[in-house]
Amino acid sequence: MSTRPGPMETTPVVEVTQSFRFSAAHRMHNPRLSAEENRRLYGRCNHVNGHGHTYRLAVTIRGPITDETGSLDDKGLLADVVRQRVLERFDQANLDDLITPADGVTSTTEILTLVLWRLLDEGLPPGRLVRLRVEETPNNFFEVDRGDRA
Amino acid sequence: MIRLTKRVEFCAAHRYVNPRWSEEENRRRFGKAVNLHGHNYVLEITIQGTPAPDTGMVMDLKALKDLIADAVMERLDHKNLNVDVPTFAERLPTPENLAVAIWGLIAPRLRDGSLYRVRLHEDDGTYVDYYGEGGRS
Repeated sequence: MSTRPGPMETTPVVEVTQSFRFSAAHRMHNPRLSAEENRRLYGRCNHVNGHGHTYRLAVTIRGPITDETGSLDDKGLLADVVRQRVLERFDQANLDDLITPADGVTSTTEILTLVLWRLLDEGLPPGRLVRLRVEETPNNFFEVDRGDRA
Repeated sequence: MIRLTKRVEFCAAHRYVNPRWSEEENRRRFGKAVNLHGHNYVLEITIQGTPAPDTGMVMDLKALKDLIADAVMERLDHKNLNVDVPTFAERLPTPENLAVAIWGLIAPRLRDGSLYRVRLHEDDGTYVDYYGEGGRS
């Protein structure tokens, strides 16, 4: 900034991460296992009446800065896609009504993360989504990168 | 190879106005951000390198703090980005453009290690990462 730059020769590519949260209930339970095996495997998370978390999502998109707005395009779209495809379905909901056997055996946050990746990736322009982090609690979080999905 | 990060905070004012658009168009596209307002920015500078055998350090964090103070804080802290920072006479002072500009202020001055990432938080929950022209490795 000591020199006054002209238009950039190459358009810089940046990543933007936005955070969201939703509250949901679940119970970890594998119907193919006995009650005792479930208790041993999932511990308190197998509690018969369920429990819940405030999940926090950090969604990262990558793309070039658009000169006329100075912003990564789709930054506004990101919030809309997260709201429509995730928050409206998953906030104040029971994950066990939303995660099906086709997604995985039960509503672990690993499986939830992969489900949310698919929903967001389908809602955003191809290749935009590059990372998703799902925090079940501030101490337990799960991440997936586009490279992991390739 | 290891990475280390120094975190600093600065406060600055800015507004979003594209001089090629009418006042109405600016207001439609940028909303209230056309008004002069400010942020407490959080900046994280990440350096990558191999610890030097004689010091065990990639880069002295105090030296990095001083470099950031001199290169970045001096220019941006408690400033009006549109008025006081020449880059933003021609470019919108968005966090995206700020991250790229800060890269340009830090990278040429580094002697130990190399700049890996500039992360800039404009508010809680939203941040921009810039990994230089080559992108994230």
